[in-house]
Amino acid sequence: MKSREKKRGNAADGLHHRAKQVKMTTSALTQGLERIPDQLGYLVISEDGVLASAGELENDEHTAGVIMQMMRTACRFRLQGAAEPPFKRMSVMLEDYVYTVTVSGQKVFVVKRQNNQREPVVV
Amino acid sequence: MGCCYSSENDTTEQDPEASKPLIPHPNPDSKPLNGTEWRSASVPSARKDEQALLTSILFKTALNIIDVSAADSQGMEQHEYMDKARQYSTKLALLSNSLSQKKPLPSLTSQPHQVLASDLVPYSDVQQVSKIAAYAYSAISQIKVDAKEELVVQFAIP
Repeated sequence: MKSREKKRGNAADGLHHRAKQVKMTTSALTQGLERIPDQLGYLVISEDGVLASAGELENDEHTAGVIMQMMRTACRFRLQGAAEPPFKRMSVMLEDYVYTVTVSGQKVFVVKRQNNQREPVVV
Repeated sequence: MGCCYSSENDTTEQDPEASKPLIPHPNPDSKPLNGTEWRSASVPSARKDEQALLTSILFKTALNIIDVSAADSQGMEQHEYMDKARQYSTKLALLSNSLSQKKPLPSLTSQPHQVLASDLVPYSDVQQVSKIAAYAYSAISQIKVDAKEELVVQFAIP
């Protein structure tokens, strides 16, 4: 009896440990994104699909697909003679919010941020 | 519609057919055309060079020009059209597959969190870009064809 219980205990520990590992890897990606001021949501996308999502972009595969297309097109731009794309970040600016997008280590990071900028008032 | 040219010789190969010129070479024996005056050197070899040049220019032009008023237009059977269309679409599918698998996305930064957290594009920049885009749009919409002459003419050879 005792030995069987011990065996089950070990297996459960192993699973718990594995789950913890996976959680840590994803959170390493997303921790920095969580802390961005005025962020409304984020996505981390790879060639295979969405790796992580949160906030207003949680499970938003449609937006992920559209932004991937835009990024693939944008990354083909080159200034004359350059070998790399001439930008670090792509911003899709809408009326009240902005999608800021970049690529790092084969992953596309998208953060939806509040856009509070308005027409400056001329007195 | 592409290069659809059927000849009397039945060839099973498709590729040479696709690249055969539509118009037969107009001046195969390199005779100078009437009306062209070439001040060639007294040396006969120089004249041959010029004629060779002229012939090559004519040949290249003939390859690039599609004569819309061509006398004999050889049609193709319906099934040949279908076969060609199917062939082209499979070729296109192959090419587009290889194109999409090409390169992975380039890495834009090693600090994604920092890049995404930095200040947003200033409103004044957005306004300026919008203004420039509006100017460009207005300029492009004013592009139009100014037809001055007939498009198809007969060459007058005296």
